[in-house]
Amino acid sequence: MTETYLSPLWISLKTVLTATAITFFMGIAAARWMARYQGKFRNLIDGIFILPLVLPPTVVGLGLLLLFGIHGPLGKLLKLFGASVVFSWPATVIAAAVVAFPLMYMTACGAFEQVEINIENAARTLGATEWRIFWSVTLPLALPGVAAGAILSLARSLGEFGATLMLAGSIPGRTTTIPIAIYFAVEAGDNNQTILLVLIVLAVAFGLLAALAYWKRRATNSGNRSLIPQNID
Amino acid sequence: MLKVRIRKNLPGFNLDVAFAVNQEILAVIGPSGSGKTMTMLCIAGLIQPDEGYIRLNSKVLYDSDSGLNLPPQQRRVGFVFQNYALFPHLTVRDNIAFGIRHLSRQEVEDRVWRLLDKMHIQELGHRYPRQLSAGQQQRVALGRALAPEPEVLLMDEPFSALDTYVKEQLERELLALQHFYQGNILFVTHDLSEGYKLSSKIAVYESGRILQCDSKQQVIAAPANRAVARLTGVRNLMAGAVVEIEDSSVWVAVPELGGRLRVTIRDAAQLAIDQQVTIGIRAEYVQVADHLDENTFLGKVSQAVEGVASINYSVRVHGTATAGHDLEASLSKSEAPPIPIGQSCYLRLPPDRLCMIGG
Repeated sequence: MTETYLSPLWISLKTVLTATAITFFMGIAAARWMARYQGKFRNLIDGIFILPLVLPPTVVGLGLLLLFGIHGPLGKLLKLFGASVVFSWPATVIAAAVVAFPLMYMTACGAFEQVEINIENAARTLGATEWRIFWSVTLPLALPGVAAGAILSLARSLGEFGATLMLAGSIPGRTTTIPIAIYFAVEAGDNNQTILLVLIVLAVAFGLLAALAYWKRRATNSGNRSLIPQNID
Repeated sequence: MLKVRIRKNLPGFNLDVAFAVNQEILAVIGPSGSGKTMTMLCIAGLIQPDEGYIRLNSKVLYDSDSGLNLPPQQRRVGFVFQNYALFPHLTVRDNIAFGIRHLSRQEVEDRVWRLLDKMHIQELGHRYPRQLSAGQQQRVALGRALAPEPEVLLMDEPFSALDTYVKEQLERELLALQHFYQGNILFVTHDLSEGYKLSSKIAVYESGRILQCDSKQQVIAAPANRAVARLTGVRNLMAGAVVEIEDSSVWVAVPELGGRLRVTIRDAAQLAIDQQVTIGIRAEYVQVADHLDENTFLGKVSQAVEGVASINYSVRVHGTATAGHDLEASLSKSEAPPIPIGQSCYLRLPPDRLCMIGG
């Protein structure tokens, strides 16, 4: 009994951590690329990156299903290696990462844009390569925003339901994440499991809010916005 | 030696300038939006011109003909931005050391120490930029730019955000800097007197073009045209016609004054009788006289604006009270008592202070 109650916890934990790790790096990479991309397709690519945020999760799930299903391009590719993601644990990660990606991407874009161009230009005149500028100047200064993005995408991954259900289904012990487990528990009238899972989710949510508040404070204190000199000369 | 020739089409105006700086300080003066900062950004490689040529000492930084465009990292150009652009997440020491991290630990330590000393901020090494005043931030920005020993130092309105006292201090320190830093220095300013104080050469910008680039004495004493005269603060400009020419003097009939002026000039060969010229004289050079004489005019004070050390008078010297010409005279308060409005006075325009301005 305990095992069935707690298995969604374990699955969600694995899923969320894996998905957030993937989204974190891909979101930052995409934001950095877009910051320097001057081409004509800027708006189009930006739109594609943000799309999963705007679409209903079930539509996203449907899209993923078409992509990874037996008749889909990626599904067929994976079949060559003898693998299939539909209705398996990796599907929960894919679904969670895809819906969370826009949040990480947009927040990271905003955070990078906020770093004053002159600061990066100063680094250039001082001989720093673009790589060094990114790691030693832009990223540290964008950190509060990037961290907030990570927290938001973690929250979104945790709460992902529609796309997960479509792509991964609800297989107890394998793909039943917390939100899915709550849904079916309510359906089945299992109040105990419902309450337990909801309380856990609330606890995590408050934890994330506290983390967000911390980074918001860090952002206003470290202030990479233009410094207002104190005139304490 | 810095040689610059660049052209760039911009919304609003076209930048088209050429000049050279040879181990000296060049002040770039002009109204906002005239292309001064853009020029600096092009020299630093942060913006690419449409075409042109930039050479710094023995290295060509940019040459549109051969397609060469060195990135800023390789240009050895020091840049001090208008808002300093210090790295907020690094201490003063780390800011200054940012450009010399590739040197040995000892060398980095030595240079940072020397620069903290030269900039008079020895005790601020471990502070963060947000804990510094504007003047202190300015010093850190300068130290940071000088640490890698650049071949040219570019400064964009370095003192515009500072209050008067701090500004004067830093101006003196910048002059002293010349003994320490032997390279070329270019600085942009919209403040003519600051530019004059700190430079040996002045380039006057307007709408993307250089109107005059000369020693500072030349630019002030002999503005190339009306626009330069206006931008360098020559407040008296009058149209006239040449009536008599001698070896070292020229007489010009000036209808606006209702008389004629004798102007001392070095080279009368350029001039012909009846030639239309513009005569200019700075308000500071106009003198008060006690009787009519050559170049002296009787007038009535119509306006007086009192400054800290001098009074700026507008004196109606010709015509009636409602329509006539005013001479602007700026008289030091210690040299003459204030003249009340409405009172008559004689104003003399010294022949050697008058300049003939073309165009």
